Amino acid sequence: MKWMQFLTPAKSLDFDETNAYISQHPGDKITILDVRQPSEYQESHIPGATLIPLPQLSDRLDELDPEKPTLVY
Amino acid sequence: MLAGKGFKKVFNVAGGIKAWHAKTAIGPQDLGMDLFTGKEEPLDVLKVAYSLEQGLYDFYIVMEKEAEHEKVKDLFGKLSEIEVKHQMAIYTAYNDISDEEPSKDEFEKMVEIKALEGGLSTREYIDLFNPDLTSETDVISLAMSIEAQALDLYQRVSSKIENPQSRDIINQIANEEKAHLASLGKLMDSL
Repeated sequence: MKWMQFLTPAKSLDFDETNAYISQHPGDKITILDVRQPSEYQESHIPGATLIPLPQLSDRLDELDPEKPTLVY
Repeated sequence: MLAGKGFKKVFNVAGGIKAWHAKTAIGPQDLGMDLFTGKEEPLDVLKVAYSLEQGLYDFYIVMEKEAEHEKVKDLFGKLSEIEVKHQMAIYTAYNDISDEEPSKDEFEKMVEIKALEGGLSTREYIDLFNPDLTSETDVISLAMSIEAQALDLYQRVSSKIENPQSRDIINQIANEEKAHLASLGKLMDSL
């Protein structure tokens, strides 16, 4: 059993920290992942965000690069 | 889920989009993607990018004429000048890697003018943001929205482009858009 997958050791970044992190890293070196529904993404999203709705995430993980820092919302 | 699947660094954006106070982009994930086929060679990418910058330049020029407020007119003028610089940078990059080195006029003839930077047309932008053309803040906010949209488009397109050199060019342009967005933010703060 890989317990790690049931835990969420992800650090939280507030708005200022997120904004600074995105500003300091070239867009191709990080992933901004939007896990909301397509209609929510369409209405408003962080520029450059990749949309993978949460219900599809486990099946589509191969579309993401695990080596890149990933900011999720 | 991600951390348990081998993702090295995962951050949770606290508060999600509601806590995001900077510019956002709108539209579905494939908005503007039809401007790129994904098969572009580096020179083709630069041509498309140039056409997008031209679209934005034309937009600012039209807005400059429509605005009645003197300061706002000046601001649109300045924004259009910035686009000229972007275009010059793209043209220079084109000549750096092209064997032909066309003149600027020849280059412009090769470029097909498509949508605005960001993948929306002029009318769509105006309808969407409905800017108050007497307000400098509104004008900069509009410009920031367009830059955010452009950044969003280039970053989404980057994953579609197959040629690594073409992808590098797109990423470089995306990073420049990010810098433009930051400088517009500073301009807004200075008002």
